[in-house]
Amino acid sequence: MMLNGKVALVTGARGGIGRAIVARFLKEGATVYAADLTPEGSLDRHDDDGSLFVKLDVTQEADAIAVMDQVRNAHGKLDILVNAAGIEIEKTVEDTTLEEWNQSFAVNCTGTFLTSKYAIPLMREAAKSGSSASLINFGSYDGFIADPGLAAYCATKGAVHALTRAMACDHGPEGIRVNAVCPGYIDTPMLQSFFNGDGSGGGGGNIETLQQAVRDVHPMRTYGTPTDIANLVNWLASDEARYASGQLWVLDGGLSAQVQQMKL
Amino acid sequence: MRLAGKRAFVTGGRQGIGRAIVETFETEGAEVVTCGRGPKPDGLGSNWISLDVSDAAAVLEVAQELGVLDIVVNNAGVQVEKTVVDSTDADWDLVMGVNAKGVFNVCRALIPQMQEGGSIINIGSISGNVADPSMALYNASKAFVHGLTRSIAVDHGPAIRCNAICPGWIETSMLDAGFELAQDPQKAKADALARHAVKRFGKPADIAAIALWLASDEASFATGQLFTVDGGMTAASPLNPGLF
Repeated sequence: MMLNGKVALVTGARGGIGRAIVARFLKEGATVYAADLTPEGSLDRHDDDGSLFVKLDVTQEADAIAVMDQVRNAHGKLDILVNAAGIEIEKTVEDTTLEEWNQSFAVNCTGTFLTSKYAIPLMREAAKSGSSASLINFGSYDGFIADPGLAAYCATKGAVHALTRAMACDHGPEGIRVNAVCPGYIDTPMLQSFFNGDGSGGGGGNIETLQQAVRDVHPMRTYGTPTDIANLVNWLASDEARYASGQLWVLDGGLSAQVQQMKL
Repeated sequence: MRLAGKRAFVTGGRQGIGRAIVETFETEGAEVVTCGRGPKPDGLGSNWISLDVSDAAAVLEVAQELGVLDIVVNNAGVQVEKTVVDSTDADWDLVMGVNAKGVFNVCRALIPQMQEGGSIINIGSISGNVADPSMALYNASKAFVHGLTRSIAVDHGPAIRCNAICPGWIETSMLDAGFELAQDPQKAKADALARHAVKRFGKPADIAAIALWLASDEASFATGQLFTVDGGMTAASPLNPGLF
């Protein structure tokens, strides 16, 4: 039980990766607030997993205030915040509408900002226990290198990376560690949407062929699962990671360790 | 017991980070063999082999004794605190011999006898990405480790994962040697502490904690990466107005 006695809040908690994080935190003994737009989130079902569902639209300041008030009243502290809520618009700059651009930044960047802003005072309280509090953002390997047709998404993730370092710098002395997890290709509803949509690169090609091609380009010959990401998030949330702060943790099966794989 | 049933080889286990990794792995159920130059140190319960990793023939010989391995940690390292101009040929042979060639020797000898699903963990350094002053050969040797880490991940996946840990300033004899270079070591220490978001230096156990995660099956999607654990130091600009 690596998170015994800790209070955690996960945004995007009912999405593919969010659910795996919530499940792992519960298994490790934490009290977990699962924040999302609806109990179903981006999946079509709702499982009663033992977490406390809270409705949170991360783009709304009033929602962030209300959710943190609820945590304050119940526990007076927050040990772990995971900003996992995110959306992906699969378009180039030319095709992206202003509304889509603004919505990408509203969820991925402003959402991370707002949730963190109202969580930090509670995390400062948690750090008074002597164990540091841990704030974990979701960057992406797309914040370092681009996937085609994901312009706004790539830009938001680059912004999250820089914000992660800035928050680590500012709030480290208060006992709050701040890191970002940067997933590569993870089997989630978002990835399936990418395969099916304009980002497929093949434009109507066979999806199984495409998925196999994607697996083969990874040194580990597979793409990741939400559990792989939850394994790292759990470590960063735990006291084992007490010296880890200000870093971007790429977890991509070796994808970005190699140069482009030329098909000659 | 996160490493139950696994066999690990850790280079440079006499003291500091290597010693912490050996002890952590043993606590988590692994069978650990470690090595270093010179005789077995006091208090080390694990199997000790006297080995200079820069000696390719000696590494090959040890590989035969070691048998099948799940985890290899290339931790052995040395530093010489000099600029390029001041470094001698002997300094080059020592630093590059242990830090660069040593990692190559061990990986070349041991990859063929690693289990499917095995994990190689190299100790790189933040100094492989950004330079510490008067540490020219050390900085360069760690950049070599970073490049080799990616190559092994790409060439030997999916059978074997390979990652590097980039420690920041960890409380070891190497760190003390670094501070002794300063005109006022106490002042230098205070300045360095102020540059860490977590306001302390690292401990060997902090690095052993990430080594344990990377060695475990929980990290089965992690490969080809450099994982920095430095208390937030390199996330901040070196120009820290709070210090002036």
